[in-house]
Amino acid sequence: MKLKIELKHIATPIKIFMIVLIILIVLLILQGIIIQTERLFTRKKQLPAPAEAKAELAEEEKRVDRIRRSAKEFLPDGTIHLVHNLGHTPGRADIPAKEQIYDVNDKLLWEGPSDKRPFEYLSWAEQLRRKFTQQRMKEIQMITPGFSRFVEIPIGSDGKAEQIWRYYPWGQYFKGYKTSGEKIGYAGSTGFTDSKSQVKPLGKFRFFTAWCPQDSSNPVLLWQTQRRIYQIDFERRNVELIFESADSDISMDYLHAWRDFKPYAKEYVDPEKYRPLLLCRTEDGKHHLILREPKQQLSFAVPRSSVTATKQDIFVRRFGSDALPPKGIANSRELFDKWLQERRGKPRNLWTELYKVNNQGGLDLLNRYDWTLPTPSERLVRARDSSIAVKRYISQLSPPFYDLIFRLLGVRFWSSDYYYQHRGDFFFGLIRTILDFRPQGGIINWILSALMMIVVFLHDWPRRTSWARFVFWLVFVGAFNIAGLLTYLALNHTVVIECPVCGKRRGLAQVDCVRCQAELPAPERGKLDLIFST
Amino acid sequence: MRFSALLRKELRECLPWILLAAVVFFAFGGFFLRAAAYFGDRYWRYSRFSPGTTVSPYDLTCYPTLQTAGPWLFFSSIGLGLILGVRHFWIPHFTRTWPFLLHRSVSRKTILAAKLTAGMIAFVISLGALWVGLFWYATRPEVFPIPQAPRVFIEGWIFIMLGLVTYLGTALSALSTANWYTTKIFGLIFATFTTITLLSTVWAIGLIAVSTAILLVQIFDTFLRREF
Repeated sequence: MKLKIELKHIATPIKIFMIVLIILIVLLILQGIIIQTERLFTRKKQLPAPAEAKAELAEEEKRVDRIRRSAKEFLPDGTIHLVHNLGHTPGRADIPAKEQIYDVNDKLLWEGPSDKRPFEYLSWAEQLRRKFTQQRMKEIQMITPGFSRFVEIPIGSDGKAEQIWRYYPWGQYFKGYKTSGEKIGYAGSTGFTDSKSQVKPLGKFRFFTAWCPQDSSNPVLLWQTQRRIYQIDFERRNVELIFESADSDISMDYLHAWRDFKPYAKEYVDPEKYRPLLLCRTEDGKHHLILREPKQQLSFAVPRSSVTATKQDIFVRRFGSDALPPKGIANSRELFDKWLQERRGKPRNLWTELYKVNNQGGLDLLNRYDWTLPTPSERLVRARDSSIAVKRYISQLSPPFYDLIFRLLGVRFWSSDYYYQHRGDFFFGLIRTILDFRPQGGIINWILSALMMIVVFLHDWPRRTSWARFVFWLVFVGAFNIAGLLTYLALNHTVVIECPVCGKRRGLAQVDCVRCQAELPAPERGKLDLIFST
Repeated sequence: MRFSALLRKELRECLPWILLAAVVFFAFGGFFLRAAAYFGDRYWRYSRFSPGTTVSPYDLTCYPTLQTAGPWLFFSSIGLGLILGVRHFWIPHFTRTWPFLLHRSVSRKTILAAKLTAGMIAFVISLGALWVGLFWYATRPEVFPIPQAPRVFIEGWIFIMLGLVTYLGTALSALSTANWYTTKIFGLIFATFTTITLLSTVWAIGLIAVSTAILLVQIFDTFLRREF
């Protein structure tokens, strides 16, 4: 009996928690289904017939559209060309795409297949953020019916693997084995060692990319951790620290001519023309440029830029637009929506600039190109509005306290950097999805909560057993909205009887009538009642 | 003494299912593992690397050698959890044997503890012992020269624990006095959510511990309070 009483105090809150959790998840799934269904139908409506859209374009519109689609390329002397790709001949993907090259005055300079292009433009460092990131590392560590995966680097010769280097995420080091089973050693931040006690962790993993050098078929890794970048060559047993950030985490990397590919490789960059370059951006907004041949390191802060280094000069290309959200508001959904509302219907001004890095590490502007894009069509705007409206109405069924959680989590939780760091995390994704359906202080949400509280008041009044319990359920339903009401009904719906004294409804859970305090009627003694008749 | 008698009775009743799960896991899991050891060249991807080219990081990731046995352990565990939950807590409703079981001079707590212990023993014997054996087999150098990571062994036990969560979820649904269209199936839904969440997060052990605690407390509360 004692266990029963003690368990009741624990089991009841746990039961409420489990039921409300399940109802909230089901509600979230239903909200998602409704939103996706609405988007499916809206998308169909907003897709214009391509032929019709093109036929309506005037000459000037065609010109603007061409400028918009053209790649803005730079020659090493700073000249800007607009390269308009006309696409492949239908059904002939084997023939190189045709392109037109214009100068900044819209004068056609050349037209022909892209592989015959007479100009050689600067090529730029490519961003590596979408390769194997910490999210992918988390994903491979998730348990599947076939267990979780490992990062294993095979090293060998003559087409046969002879060694395996397995990464241990908890220890943040590699452990090597021969394929015959014999242990080789460990690889950590201080290099290769024979014993576990000597190996030092590489650091919290962020990203890695791999390639085979021209003289080997064994992978070399560029391994980025929170604050460091290593180049790990397992074949030569070498761990080289390329870069270390003392004050801030590294957020993304760009590479150019760093990996020595063969000319037929897709990412090949001519090493005769360009210097190996690694650009990494840290979270404090700084760009750190690590160059080879000769070794050199520079730091600068230019937002939305990319870099390249020829054998003679270092160039920085910058892209800008007044249609991009100002710094600071991108972290706040409300401010962003407000800014988007103000921007709507206005033309967009864009520009690109080319800088040359001087001997002091400063930037000298070489050239700049500006262009303007017209306002997006009203048709598209209206379609987006309906989607937002449906979501707003659907979100009114969510618990009002989601808004409170949203505020408590703070601006950083919603920033793109934070999102990028935690993208693969299940709970992070779940919280973001849940809070995406927050009611945003909607008046309908408050009205619904109030109505549900009234329903609970009317339902629970004749059934009430204590004031504390009665008030708890009112507050609970007010906080959880429809999920709270369903939880309340699941746990509290009992039969009511008519009180023989006052004639009003009363629950069976309490001995006294809640209105007249009369006791429950005792059962009448029957003729066959063996217990009472003896 | 009463407890051990009840335990023997419960184990006797679920013995066919314990044996079936063990046979399915051992036969299929063992067969595919042996086949992987005999035929498998885990490092065939190495031959795809050529000098001066990029290497896809995904070519540098791989499942453990016990991967072939994993799905058999996972589904055997879930299946055994469902069957044992039904056998222990649902069948007595259909055969109307609850009053017969409860009228004895044994406390409800003892009866429930016997059922739950029988369930746990079933998992440990039929799947746990076999999993330990299979893992030991896979770590022998003549079978797979590269040692198995300890993480795989733990993950196998997580699968077994997941079966236990399914068992408890089924038990809670069976014991619930609510209608099936209200909260009766919430125990099973909760176990399903746990399984889905577990396959999407790295915090598996904590999640299983919390889920098991939530279900156990409710099972005890429901079983000790409800009328049969």
